[in-house]
Amino acid sequence: MQADESCGYLNSALTIFVVGASGDLAKKKTYPSLFDLFCHSFLPEKTAICGYARSKKTDDEFRDHIAPYLKGGDEDEKHAFLDKCTYCSGKYDSEDDVREAFVGIQQWEESTGLRYVNRLFYFAIPPSVFVPIGTSLKNAVIGPSEKGNADDASGRIGWNRLIIEKPFGKDSDSFEKLSQDMGTLYSENHLYRIDHYLGKEMVKNLMTMRHSNSIFEPIWNRNYISNIQITFKEDFGTKGRGGYFDGYGIIRDIIQNHLIQVLTIVAMEPPLAVSGENYSNHVRNEKVKVLESIPPVELDDCVLGQYLAPEDGSEPGYVDDPSVPDDSITPTFASMALKINNPRWEGVPFVLKAGKALNERKGEVRIQFQRSPGASKMFPGEKIPANELVIRLQPDEAVYMKVNVKEPGLRTTPVTSELDLTYKSSFPDAFHVDAYSRLIIDVLRGSQAAFVRDDELRAAWKIFTPILERIEREKISPIKYDYGSRGPRESDELLARVGFKYHAEYEWRPPSSKL
Amino acid sequence: MQELAQADESCSYLASALTIFVVGASGDLAKKKTYPSLFDLFRNSFLPEKTLICGYARSKKTDDEFRAQIGPYLKGGTDDDKRNFLERCVYRSGAYDSEEDVKSAFVGLRQFEKDTGLPLANRLFYFAIPPSVFVPIGTSLKNAVIGPSESGLAESEGVGWNRLIIEKPFGKDSESFELLHQNMGALYSEDHLYRIDHYLGKEMVKNLMTMRYSNAIFEPLWNRNHISNIQITFKENFGTKGRGGYFDGYGIIRDIIQNHLLQVLTIVAMEPPVAISGENYSNHVRNEKVKVLESIPPVQLEDCVLGQYLAPEDGSEPAYVGDPTVPDDSVTPTFASMVLRINNPRWEGVPFILKAGKALNERKAEVRIQFKQPPGAKAMFPGEGIPPNELVMRLQPDEAVYMKVNVKEPGLKTSPVTSELDLTYKKSFAGAFNVDAYTRLILDVLRGSQAAFVRDDELRAAWKIFTPVLHRIEREKIRPITYAYGSRGPEEADTLLAKMGFKYHADYKWSG
Repeated sequence: MQADESCGYLNSALTIFVVGASGDLAKKKTYPSLFDLFCHSFLPEKTAICGYARSKKTDDEFRDHIAPYLKGGDEDEKHAFLDKCTYCSGKYDSEDDVREAFVGIQQWEESTGLRYVNRLFYFAIPPSVFVPIGTSLKNAVIGPSEKGNADDASGRIGWNRLIIEKPFGKDSDSFEKLSQDMGTLYSENHLYRIDHYLGKEMVKNLMTMRHSNSIFEPIWNRNYISNIQITFKEDFGTKGRGGYFDGYGIIRDIIQNHLIQVLTIVAMEPPLAVSGENYSNHVRNEKVKVLESIPPVELDDCVLGQYLAPEDGSEPGYVDDPSVPDDSITPTFASMALKINNPRWEGVPFVLKAGKALNERKGEVRIQFQRSPGASKMFPGEKIPANELVIRLQPDEAVYMKVNVKEPGLRTTPVTSELDLTYKSSFPDAFHVDAYSRLIIDVLRGSQAAFVRDDELRAAWKIFTPILERIEREKISPIKYDYGSRGPRESDELLARVGFKYHAEYEWRPPSSKL
Repeated sequence: MQELAQADESCSYLASALTIFVVGASGDLAKKKTYPSLFDLFRNSFLPEKTLICGYARSKKTDDEFRAQIGPYLKGGTDDDKRNFLERCVYRSGAYDSEEDVKSAFVGLRQFEKDTGLPLANRLFYFAIPPSVFVPIGTSLKNAVIGPSESGLAESEGVGWNRLIIEKPFGKDSESFELLHQNMGALYSEDHLYRIDHYLGKEMVKNLMTMRYSNAIFEPLWNRNHISNIQITFKENFGTKGRGGYFDGYGIIRDIIQNHLLQVLTIVAMEPPVAISGENYSNHVRNEKVKVLESIPPVQLEDCVLGQYLAPEDGSEPAYVGDPTVPDDSVTPTFASMVLRINNPRWEGVPFILKAGKALNERKAEVRIQFKQPPGAKAMFPGEGIPPNELVMRLQPDEAVYMKVNVKEPGLKTSPVTSELDLTYKKSFAGAFNVDAYTRLILDVLRGSQAAFVRDDELRAAWKIFTPVLHRIEREKIRPITYAYGSRGPEEADTLLAKMGFKYHADYKWSG
């Protein structure tokens, strides 16, 4: 009933229960986003935010702990927001502790005098404690009913929704175990699995652009597209915090979740609806279909890399990170060609590439079209680069289409320029929303489209589990590359092998730099 | 085959001497267009070192008097450039119908050609004159200088090529065109004739072909399956300014639509030619243009809106008939909007709307391709209005190409909003050589490329489309609808557009 763009939830009270409130994620993402929503009037007037974690803290100590991370807004707003934040300590596996934390919450909920109160549970915790706290909450607070209001005889609870954060397993087996355990406690309708890439402006825009224009869909297929690249590049390394990363590697950390999610949105068939009421499962159904059409990645279609210290020694190599074992073979770079065996995409390679400590910071989708048919005959002797539609996710959101035009002036040679939409110049006043803020609003609105469903995860793990296991079993050594470089040269060779034409002379510059 | 060897982008003509013979040199066109463009070519090193430019007209003048007359119109370049250029300009007077006068003008020119010591001299004849004297001077030149041979080599062993530039109007209906054509055709073959339509020299018109064929993304969409309608528009924000006398005999359809806008239409609509650059591509392009024209049935009066401007309410400008050179009861249209059909497999059912007008609210020329509504979008975005995509090529002012696209409204909403993928030349090609259309076209003539010049069969087909409606307008004295100076033109033109399926998107304005 509330799965729309309206903000019906604003008329009810809202309790936000942040589990793992004293941790890094809560401090850096959860609370700042909640503050962002608060400042923009997206939280009900009657909102209580209760932090919960193991460490003992008073409300004021906790407020001091999160306050420095709240960005934007004035002092008054900060004050008003922090007033709504309380803190309770307790164990994750203790029903009693949770129940006790909710005594005050229930009192507050009653004191609002509002007909309904909604409850949002935010799990800012590692997956190892999902099940203990999930069980405690279920038994102490939420109750057995699917609707989640069984414990409340008055029927005052509007909805219970649960936000959980990656990682969702590290392979098919571990995912299934987690999914089963959580599945016995909560149904899919209550679960909101965050992949923050799905909250990015340009990822959301991808669906709008594909389906609200008539010019893209006719050429959005194997007849016109040569290859598609989805790229994530970071220009820094693990910065001494490689311990967690080393157990996962770049494929699990970036590719299997963020990049493959972007891929599904680029590649999916048109859903029945992409907005309006109850469109979430229409979108997710199409995403699953794409994932299920992708065969497991082969090692031969991958290039793995690990960064070394740069020549000037100004930065450490990956294995120099004190929290990383000296003999680690965890890839910090991977480039892999995926296939989608369906009528739209068979034969079009999707190249997913992610790496740390590279030459630049960038996230983009690059759709390279086939050569203009007949053009080499019509323009004898001219080189005619292929068109590319580039959707730049970060930094500086932009959409541009590389097109060839007549070189202005007296020549008739084609030169490459672009049809450009740079958000900074075209939408200078737009509300710049953080991905987390956007996603939390989606949760409040009950829209699940931008959250990952269990069958998506199952299908995604099927694609990557075999190669991840093989890399670990055979201890495949990654190719070394210099910190600050473009990554292993073999990755460019892989791109060339699958048909990507690199156009060295062309470089996109934001229009502001052209003036 | 001299023509063939030079029909390319190289400038091999630079190695020969060049004589340019400007007929009508003391007239307005020569002063304002021909000489400034020749100067432009000169200072950008596109004229041979050995070049002589001889002006020819009836009025008597010394070389220096003539130089003083054209000097003020030369733009750009230093004073040295100007002096050097003017030194190459001479002037001879004579009657247009006198072989003797022409022959004596050429005595000096021959001497110059000989003195260069170069094996070949090329000759460019520029007719900056009204069509009534095409034939007299054409005959005089032919007999006195060029000689009978098609290849133009008979008269003198030292002559490389003879090329002839002529300017519109090329007739005022099918019949007058045929008469002019027969007379000129008896003197010169098509290979020597370069009929200027300066729209074909515009950067964006030339770019249209490059864009269509050097990109893989446009051609699949460039047809009746995806395109709803195409508009080609010319708007001027001033009236006849007291010089309506000439215009009144022609009207906006002949002055703008039958030539400029229709030429742009052929380039938008044609099938891919065998080649659009390289050697000898000219006739490949013109063959395709003719095919388009021959697929267009004559325009019906019912598919036209004709207008004539009135004085604005504040009386600050005169009405069209307020122009002292225009008869008070003139029914000549200063505005016309008309729907053309192209009955071929690519375009059947897609209306091409040509619109031109004087004294409107703005100065603008553009091609606007409106695509069909995105199929299924109504169901996918319930309750949202989704404007159709448009590809707009702005010919003037401020060249630009932009595609109106819908994107997610940035921020927390998911409604589509219209923005654009934009290529504004001023920004993207800030340092580019901004070439005047005439300059570009004269260079094409020197290079021997005829692609951007109108062939006789194109004109014949073009007149077939417009002659019936023009005759009917004149025979029945169809009254144009009056519109206020500075307005958007008659409302009926918008109604016609809407009837043809054009969706006007009032909230959107391109900001480039």
